[in-house]
Amino acid sequence: MSEPLVVLDGVEKRFGDFTAVRRADLTIDEGEFVAIMGPSGCGKTTTLRMLAGLETPSAGEIRIGGRSMNDVPPHARDTPMVWQSLALFPFLTVRENVEFGLKMRGIAAAARKARALDWLDRLEIGDFANRIVDTLSGGQRQRVALARSLVTEPRILLLDEPLSALDAHLVIRMQGVLTRLQRELGIAFVYVTHSHSEAFAMADRVVIMSRGEIAQVGAPRAIYRAPANRFVAEFVGRNTILTGTVEGAALRTPIGTFALPAPATDGATAHLVLAADILHIARAADPAARNAVEARLISEEFVGSIVTLFLEAADGTEFKVQMQERALTGLDLHAGGRFHLTWATDDAHLLPEVPA
Amino acid sequence: MSGRAGTWVLRGYVLLVFAFVFAPIVMSLIFSFNADRFPTIPLGGFTTHWYATIFADDGFWRAARNSLVVSACTCILATALGFCTAYSDYRYRFRGQGAYLGIILLPPTIPLIIMALAMLAWFSRVGISGQVYSVVLAHTVLTAPFAMAIIRLRLERMDASLEAAAWNLGASEWRAMREVILPFCRPAILSSLFLTAAISFDEFTVAWFVSGLNKTLPVHVLEIVQGTIDPQVNAIGTLVFLVSMTLVVLAQLMIFFRIQRSAP
Amino acid sequence: MKPRLNAYALTFRLPILIWQALFFLGPLLFMIAMSFFLVRNYRMEEAFVMKNWERMLSRGFVWDSYWYTLGMAALASLTASLLAFPAAFALAFRTSESVRRWAIFLLVIPFFTSYLVRTFSWYVILAESGVINAGLGAVGLGPFTMLNTAFGTLVGYMTLTLPLVVILQTVTLAGIDPSLIQAARNLGCPPWRTIPSVVLPAAKTGMVVAALFAFILSFGDFVAPYYLGGSKPPTLPILIIDTTKAGQQWPRAAVVAVIMMVTLFVIAFAAIAFAYRRRASR
Repeated sequence: MSEPLVVLDGVEKRFGDFTAVRRADLTIDEGEFVAIMGPSGCGKTTTLRMLAGLETPSAGEIRIGGRSMNDVPPHARDTPMVWQSLALFPFLTVRENVEFGLKMRGIAAAARKARALDWLDRLEIGDFANRIVDTLSGGQRQRVALARSLVTEPRILLLDEPLSALDAHLVIRMQGVLTRLQRELGIAFVYVTHSHSEAFAMADRVVIMSRGEIAQVGAPRAIYRAPANRFVAEFVGRNTILTGTVEGAALRTPIGTFALPAPATDGATAHLVLAADILHIARAADPAARNAVEARLISEEFVGSIVTLFLEAADGTEFKVQMQERALTGLDLHAGGRFHLTWATDDAHLLPEVPA
Repeated sequence: MSGRAGTWVLRGYVLLVFAFVFAPIVMSLIFSFNADRFPTIPLGGFTTHWYATIFADDGFWRAARNSLVVSACTCILATALGFCTAYSDYRYRFRGQGAYLGIILLPPTIPLIIMALAMLAWFSRVGISGQVYSVVLAHTVLTAPFAMAIIRLRLERMDASLEAAAWNLGASEWRAMREVILPFCRPAILSSLFLTAAISFDEFTVAWFVSGLNKTLPVHVLEIVQGTIDPQVNAIGTLVFLVSMTLVVLAQLMIFFRIQRSAP
Repeated sequence: MKPRLNAYALTFRLPILIWQALFFLGPLLFMIAMSFFLVRNYRMEEAFVMKNWERMLSRGFVWDSYWYTLGMAALASLTASLLAFPAAFALAFRTSESVRRWAIFLLVIPFFTSYLVRTFSWYVILAESGVINAGLGAVGLGPFTMLNTAFGTLVGYMTLTLPLVVILQTVTLAGIDPSLIQAARNLGCPPWRTIPSVVLPAAKTGMVVAALFAFILSFGDFVAPYYLGGSKPPTLPILIIDTTKAGQQWPRAAVVAVIMMVTLFVIAFAAIAFAYRRRASR
């Protein structure tokens, strides 16, 4: 029987009255890069800690490599973790830190020294082998933490927001290091983060969690283009969400009636999710447009050559429009100015109302 | 209170306070070399007679040996107990934790004379009074809170994930204790050993009550002082001061070299 | 890992409980019980009688001693706080960080010297033929009697408590946010009024705790009142020693000890309640 590397089967974790993780079902394949993402308190770190055995599930079962892990203590699992704080041992040298896992497995001193140095070289920090960790920079310590976890050659590596303490430019570099390593080693990475840029940039599959529940699992592009529910739509990106009532092939909202990209039950409540990059903005109304809204410009935000415009429709609905800075010429942007927004029907995503 | 004049007045006052604090220490050093039996000004001639007297006195050596044994045993027991308690408090959340901490931290707030009477009565009742180890048992109760406080503060500064990181890398709880928690607490454990030894070495009230005939050094001093004015006391005081300060300086040096080692 | 009660957890949690039960709570509870024991023919019998309590509470000299000890300890606490404050103030606000650290290090040194030897030293300094009177005699003053007086006792109490009170006050004052004082000065508060209106309220908890320590130490000390105060009148700790060492009246000594403990608990609770009360409502 070939089961996926990791199986979460109806896993639940309660702390007293508080349910941190509710009925989680998830599988992770050999060699897969999975990111678990969500706002703080959504249960992502608890899920990771259960994988490492630092928390015991209140219900359900976790299997790794086909074996039930519920009663296996942390030290008897092979699930090394890269910690948010890195948790390097301050009283040991870099090499001794990396050797730690090998020492616990009873590997002879000479062999573990060789393997540790090998890994330090591989992560380009061989020169620091005899330094105390406190004297290293943030990026170097990150590499020590990685080497320490990988030296035992596990089939799975757990990462708990490992890049959250780094500067923005280092984050991008470490993302490259991580994805390259993961591909070279062919082992599974389970990466917990609250940042969608990290998750979407690196992961094969993204798990989005909200209030202890798995809200959606899928490839980054699939989640981005087709969020499964309102939470994901709001969390994942700069989406505009229009709510209304289905009337045939259209959705009636307070600011107009818009074409539906897919069929829906007549009379039901539904949402249209408009990604920020599908909206087209113009000074003048386009009489040919099937979906058009008039909105007032509130503010704009530049990040490099990408600009995000924030507009407000008559009923207060906020629209977010993302475009290249070049495309702005001739628009005469000023706060309070009136613009016409249009989009192609098939670019929008239909979200049927799910009873809570 | 502002202005230069005020500042200088305040600084002068600080020196006065220090003079008051150090006067008895300096005096005892000076008079330990003073030839007159009844110490007064002007000083008599220089002598090492008082040191010769105590070195020739069997009672002094017995008391000194008892004191060394007591403080050595006390510092090990108190530090071990303090470590266990500090670790329990750090690692676990349990019902009655407040009372648990109260039981270990309370002794220093109770006057020594009360502890002395209570321990004398109880030790006599169960038949463990009047021995050198009686003083060890009592001093461990009195000094364990200091050990606990020093080690608990050190644990507070430990990365909360450090122990879990050790488990995660394959260390059992016991192994993580040996490989991570103990090495991390090493400087605090050393400080605790020296501090509890120093407190035990100076304590005389409880020791006087429970030691019976097995006097410790401060009890020996107490009995000399009770008799008459005897400059031997100054000589003993000076020696004890030197021993204690050596311990403190050694403790500092060990911690200092530890930091040196960890520097790049 | 789930914190459940296993052998590992118990190994670290139990030792202190057993130790304190045997050698701390045991003695204290036994002493309380002992205050109800009976002494007959110089032998103690385990009983439950009120005789010791009736006897001690009806004696005038016990009450004299009680009020004297309480008054002297309160006086010592107040004196130490007042003497320490200008020094702590100077160390906290008028010196650099490194000077402050050295000062605190120096003030810790007395804790590593024998209190007995220091008291003996004061005995020599304060004696009628001692250092101070020799100095005063040279300019035609004195001699003054300082030993075997309440003044002598107080000097001893200061020897015991002053370094600790200065350290605690300095640490407290140095912990006050300096912008608090600057803000008060900015708002027109004259320099001499910043102390009562800004510094003291902000440092209240630390000041009260320091005073409480001075009180507890003085209240339980027998060395200063015995050797420097001449035991005139005896304080409660001296009463305990005399009753224990001279006679076979341990139960009566236990009565005095229990009275001391109850008094200390009441005062400590009152002081701590006072120290933290205002803070909560601010």
